[in-house]
Amino acid sequence: GVFAHLEMLEARAHEAAVKQEETEQQEEKLARLKARVQELRLQRDELRAKVDLQQKGQLGKEGVLSDPAQPSARAVLEWKIKSVKAMLQVFYLTGISGKLTKRGVCFCISTAYEGTYLDSYHLDLLTKAEVQIHRHSVPIFIPLEQIAKKYLQTDIRRFLSVLSDHLNAYAGRRYQADQLQDRFSDRIEGTLQRNSLCNLLVFNYNVSSKSKTFPFNVRLLYGDLCCSLPTEVTVSCTPDAPASLAETAAAHSDLFRRVALHKAFRSFSSAEESVD
Amino acid sequence: MDNSICQVYEDEIQSLEEEIKLLAEKYEDNQQESTFFSDEEILMSIKSFQREFQGQSKGHESPSDLKAQLESLETDLSFLMKFTGIQFTSHSKKTVEKTTNRTVQKHRLSGNCHSLSFQLEFQLLEMQNKENVSAVITDLSIIMESGEDSDVSKFVSSTEEQGNLLTFFRSLSSYAEWYEHRRCTFLHFK
Repeated sequence: GVFAHLEMLEARAHEAAVKQEETEQQEEKLARLKARVQELRLQRDELRAKVDLQQKGQLGKEGVLSDPAQPSARAVLEWKIKSVKAMLQVFYLTGISGKLTKRGVCFCISTAYEGTYLDSYHLDLLTKAEVQIHRHSVPIFIPLEQIAKKYLQTDIRRFLSVLSDHLNAYAGRRYQADQLQDRFSDRIEGTLQRNSLCNLLVFNYNVSSKSKTFPFNVRLLYGDLCCSLPTEVTVSCTPDAPASLAETAAAHSDLFRRVALHKAFRSFSSAEESVD
Repeated sequence: MDNSICQVYEDEIQSLEEEIKLLAEKYEDNQQESTFFSDEEILMSIKSFQREFQGQSKGHESPSDLKAQLESLETDLSFLMKFTGIQFTSHSKKTVEKTTNRTVQKHRLSGNCHSLSFQLEFQLLEMQNKENVSAVITDLSIIMESGEDSDVSKFVSSTEEQGNLLTFFRSLSSYAEWYEHRRCTFLHFK
């Protein structure tokens, strides 16, 4: 009786104490968070005011803005460092950039398709004795060794230029195939088959004629590895397709030879829209 | 109920921290992009920085560290200009838009490649997605000195249309070398 009763009272008191502690902790946490929010809001407002003032100052004068407080020598140096770094980043956009290393140069070849920059590739060259490729990130299906054998010792610039042609053409072919798969998946029947070098593409796509659709099969061979347009195009339709479609197949074949793959498909879509 | 209030505060804290980071970057960018110091001012600053620093070690980089960093960067830059033949004479950029995932900058660039000079303006859009940063050029405008040459102007306008900055530089490089070679050959026979 009594013991049990006492135990029960103890337990209740314990429970109440735990709850009390929990509530206090919770309140403390809320108070901390609230304080932090106030602190950050203040910081944010100060920064906003600073930026506004900065922009007002710039609206007043054209060109050079001189800090009302004379910039420190350190600030000037840091400005120059950032400025040179920015110019080095611009070199990335030109296609060939790099930095000197203790034993040579580490070059970076960037690739792009029209205005879109794609992957970049690195080559760590040793130039002390004969030129050697120490490390690189060029994919294995690019004929790097062949190109190096031909140009690396005699004309590094030419070596990089030829390698850049290969890499950019590969990147361009891959980009076109990716764009086709991403943008025109509804017109492609089945999967788009391609090799790692992206110089052989085979796929089926739908062509509509008089509200019926017919599958066309395309085989694109890019014989020139420095080119992102195919050298051989075969477009065929099924034997049961109407004769008029043969003309369409020939027209498409011609188009694929001259125009980038995804652009060719874009023109099909708009042509069909205008016919319907 | 308390937990949801906590969450509200925590969300606000996160968004404030992001906003503060972006504002700080905006302030820095603006400072950087609207200032210009000449080479003489840079040299003077290096000297005066070395004088005033003597003996102090704050945990900031010392003048010799900064000077070494600047020299290394300038060496890399002059190597690239010499190697590629592309000499940039001026570069300015302005950050037009900056959010957590997206930066848009307007660039103005002038220079020459051998004897051919150019002036460029373009917009560079950089977007952060899951794995990497993508870069796209838009609004490319190219002015070339030898713009009267019809081949050059045709090349320039198709390059501008496609935003093909990379191709511009690569072609410029090989064209300039050929042009230079032709010029030297011509002079040789004069």
